[in-house]
Amino acid sequence: MTAWHVFSTMGTVVSIHADAPIARHVLREVEGVFAAFDRRFSLYRPDSEISRIADGRLALLAAGAELRNVYELALGWRSATHGAFTPHRPDGVVDLSGVVKALAIRDAGTALDHAGATTWSIGCGGDILTRLSDGAEQTIGIADPADRRRLLTAVAISAPHRAIATSGVSERGEHVWGPRPDFDQVTVLAADIVTADVLATAILAGGQETCDEVTATMPVDVLCVRRDGEVVGTPGARLALPA
Amino acid sequence: MSTRGTLGGVFASAAVLIIGWQIGAAALGHPATTTSTGPTGATAGSGSNGAPTSGSSGSGSGSPASSTLKDGTFTGASVQTPYGEVQVSIVVASGRISDVATPTLQAYDGRSERINSQAVPLLKREVLQAQSAKVSMISGATFTSRGYLTSLQSALDKAA
Repeated sequence: MTAWHVFSTMGTVVSIHADAPIARHVLREVEGVFAAFDRRFSLYRPDSEISRIADGRLALLAAGAELRNVYELALGWRSATHGAFTPHRPDGVVDLSGVVKALAIRDAGTALDHAGATTWSIGCGGDILTRLSDGAEQTIGIADPADRRRLLTAVAISAPHRAIATSGVSERGEHVWGPRPDFDQVTVLAADIVTADVLATAILAGGQETCDEVTATMPVDVLCVRRDGEVVGTPGARLALPA
Repeated sequence: MSTRGTLGGVFASAAVLIIGWQIGAAALGHPATTTSTGPTGATAGSGSNGAPTSGSSGSGSGSPASSTLKDGTFTGASVQTPYGEVQVSIVVASGRISDVATPTLQAYDGRSERINSQAVPLLKREVLQAQSAKVSMISGATFTSRGYLTSLQSALDKAA
């Protein structure tokens, strides 16, 4: 990767790598994608559309089509995961942050594609979407949940997977709710970033039962750190490191 | 869907066998004694180096730990499971098992027909020396901008 661009947004940091320099106006467009989602969907912004819904100033059904579409998407995932993933906070507030970051990454990737970038990766707060040439793979480090300065391991991402997302107990208080009885950290590899991100959250919240169902029924790979520290994974999440 | 479920079952079985094999190997220090799918069956294949497997090394856990394996690739007997046929092969280098594979099942492991199984424990040797991995992107639980300051990703970005 020869081109590298880093910027802050959504309370986190985005890293973009590409095999060729990306035009400045394209980078501005990508930053604009994240900024737009941040403005509309951030509960920490008191004037955002989602905040006005949360405090009753705006009825959900009166919200803009974009927000309602995202809410509908989140509800679809709630059904698909039997409630392990949910856009509803325990206090009833609608919180779409569980899908918004992934949607921003997805749209940013679309912008890079439209600009003609052929090999790139976008990392945002630990979730990554890649565009690789045919047959190529990229090695992604997996953070150690016990010590963020260290890698736990590394996995190779290649077709049909393009995305990897990780949820961990460090997200407590963000958008992961549930007893989390089984795992400290869950990584999911999937064809798209929304699926990866949502399922990582769902498995962390739903534990072993959700993990078993997801791996049996969905075309994803998972790598989970159990509470006792043991690392478990599906065959496709086996490691990129030489033995 | 039923085909998919069946294949998934096969893969899960294979994974269990492989893990069982590895665990047995570690526990006994003598891998060839541990499972019925080892290079001991009547239909055992020949080693790729021409070394016959002949089941000679499998004599139970009471065998001396000092005995060594012949180098080569050895394919075990096929074993029928409720999900189909499972056949395991091992690669022995310097008297130790260096790899385990299930050739019978590899045909089902194509990316185009990805079959997942339950997540199973990774071998210790797979979770190794990650610090030396050459990576440019890190996946981890959401890096807040504050957490990012202490994350590997920020170091990588600075190093770019």
